[in-house]
Amino acid sequence: MSEAAVHTEAATMQVRLKIWRFDSETGERALRDYEIDAPEWSCLLDVLDIIKDRVDGTLAYRKSCRMMICGSCGMRMDGAAVLACKERMKPIVDSGHVPVISAMGNLPILKDLVVDMEPFWSKMRAMKPWLQPGYEEPPARERLASQEQMNVIHKEALCINCGCCVSECNSMESDPDFLGPAALAKGMRFVGDARDGAEIERLEAYNSEHGIWDCTRCYFCTERCPKGVDPRDAIAKLGAESIKHGIDRDMGAKHAKWFVTSAKTTGWLRETELVPKTQGVVSAIKEVKFAMGLARRGKVPPPFPPHVAEGVGESRALYDLVSEQGRDGAAGIVQGERALARIEHTDEGGARRDAPEITPGETPPHAEG
Amino acid sequence: MEGNGFPMRVAYYKGCLASLSAKELDSSTQALAPKVGLELVELESVTCCGAGDIHEAEPDYYLHLNARILAYAEATGADTLMTVCNVCTLNLRQANWMLKKDEALLERVNKNLRTVGVPSYSGSVEVKHLLWLIAEGEGYELLKVAAHKGLKGLKVAPFYGCQILRPSKLLGFEDPDRPWSLEAIITACGGEPIDYPAKIKCCGFPIIQAREETALGELIQPIEQAMEAGADVMVTPCPLCHLSLDAWQSKLKKATGRDFAMPILHLSQLIGVAAGLEDSELKFKRHVVSVKPMLEKLAT
Repeated sequence: MSEAAVHTEAATMQVRLKIWRFDSETGERALRDYEIDAPEWSCLLDVLDIIKDRVDGTLAYRKSCRMMICGSCGMRMDGAAVLACKERMKPIVDSGHVPVISAMGNLPILKDLVVDMEPFWSKMRAMKPWLQPGYEEPPARERLASQEQMNVIHKEALCINCGCCVSECNSMESDPDFLGPAALAKGMRFVGDARDGAEIERLEAYNSEHGIWDCTRCYFCTERCPKGVDPRDAIAKLGAESIKHGIDRDMGAKHAKWFVTSAKTTGWLRETELVPKTQGVVSAIKEVKFAMGLARRGKVPPPFPPHVAEGVGESRALYDLVSEQGRDGAAGIVQGERALARIEHTDEGGARRDAPEITPGETPPHAEG
Repeated sequence: MEGNGFPMRVAYYKGCLASLSAKELDSSTQALAPKVGLELVELESVTCCGAGDIHEAEPDYYLHLNARILAYAEATGADTLMTVCNVCTLNLRQANWMLKKDEALLERVNKNLRTVGVPSYSGSVEVKHLLWLIAEGEGYELLKVAAHKGLKGLKVAPFYGCQILRPSKLLGFEDPDRPWSLEAIITACGGEPIDYPAKIKCCGFPIIQAREETALGELIQPIEQAMEAGADVMVTPCPLCHLSLDAWQSKLKKATGRDFAMPILHLSQLIGVAAGLEDSELKFKRHVVSVKPMLEKLAT
């Protein structure tokens, strides 16, 4: 190697990976092995570029900005959604682990690592993701929003529409019509915007059958989001805002409210009354046979006499005190939200992709066709 | 590093389920604790953590309720608050994290606590699940000794559930995509851990009343996969996952026509069997799905 080359060429490493190839026209799918030399600074996207350039030009994937802002290169590594441009390969190579790359989940695969984003965009459109200030003509003077007002939706506004959260949403796997974490986080971005005038209409719409209360709180969205949006937190805020405005006809909202009632009356969850309080008495009666089965096993504690926590008076007094202080709705979460957004951007904790073993059985979920 | 030598004195937060419909979790935990070097100081004057529901309905009240639990845990002098439920673990750790990172918030909450007669919280408590205390270090060594009866190679499918793994920035004990703690415990007890992809996914419990169909679509995955992988039994560190996997199995049977008959054990029960706990402590009669096939297998 010439002296000049030493100064200009980075050290290289040998990268091995497996890619799930898929052709939706023929239905053919195969797990292919690749082995290439790549600069040590390479991220997953660089490695894919080298494969496409030098090994197999038919490999399909999306990319654009290469710097975590366009949201194009969402895909799965070892079954977990990532941005290919964000994942450094060096630690993985050093560990000897051979990662498996596949398309994102919960969206139909078009070819190899490219998914059809149309279901994603149609849910996004359903959120009416534009400001509805509530006036026809612009006011005479520009309306200024304070930094404090914008802080409320700062992290929701960081979303780059990559779909990593949607890829692993457990509720959406079971109910494909669920609006899902990306769209709902977008919803909070407008509900929380001080300039928007359609808060109630939005909350009504987001409280639909496949809306806020369809979220199963698996936290995969928050775990996977590469930008710190924390969609689960956004969904919780939409719930809190809905309840604050009395939009609480959904069983999910009734369920949540019963926990509040329980905490301030007996301290512990009043489990046995939870079903009628959530589903209504008529539905609850239909559940009698199921409930009797549970009762035989001691799973239906009698509501009378109630199991009252010692010092429950303090719990009720706290409720009254906190209610007077008026931090209801999303305002009650905001102080933690800003802090949580901060940790999402640090390297403390979190998943490690350089672990040698992988969870077996990952295949592209829609590849079976 | 905090002083976490064993035997360890810990504040014990039962939560709603272990106090009420999952009493078998409490009795097996209480019986197991001394065998693995844990001295439990039961918190009397505490309430529900809100289970994520109060966090969603009345977020500021959620924070205060959990601060109150943390304050009473601190008042015991223990530096660890031990939980036996994923949901309690996340709710308490989230509140603890918020209070520890934000002085102004801690001050505001403490002022409210004092107003209603609750001691102030200084932020000295760490919230840890029983699983974390015995999956490594001294706790794990003691566990290996305690589990003297073994499990005779019983095939055990670990089911983690969600809120002991994610969000990992708040939980942080292990890699949320490749957890190992339940497998380590199963192995120490003489069982054979079974691997399957859905072990880190959701059981559907949080929406099982409001969206039963969606929830059942989630619930079937771990049970079906564990069965296909040859598991004799499943074990979970969360009583809500337990309720879902055990009690709602009959609804899966109704919906799919398949009788899975998969016994579901609480973590403390699985170890309890290997440690020779009494029937009165294990309380298997409180389960909906019979654990008899498992017990028969162990008796041969």
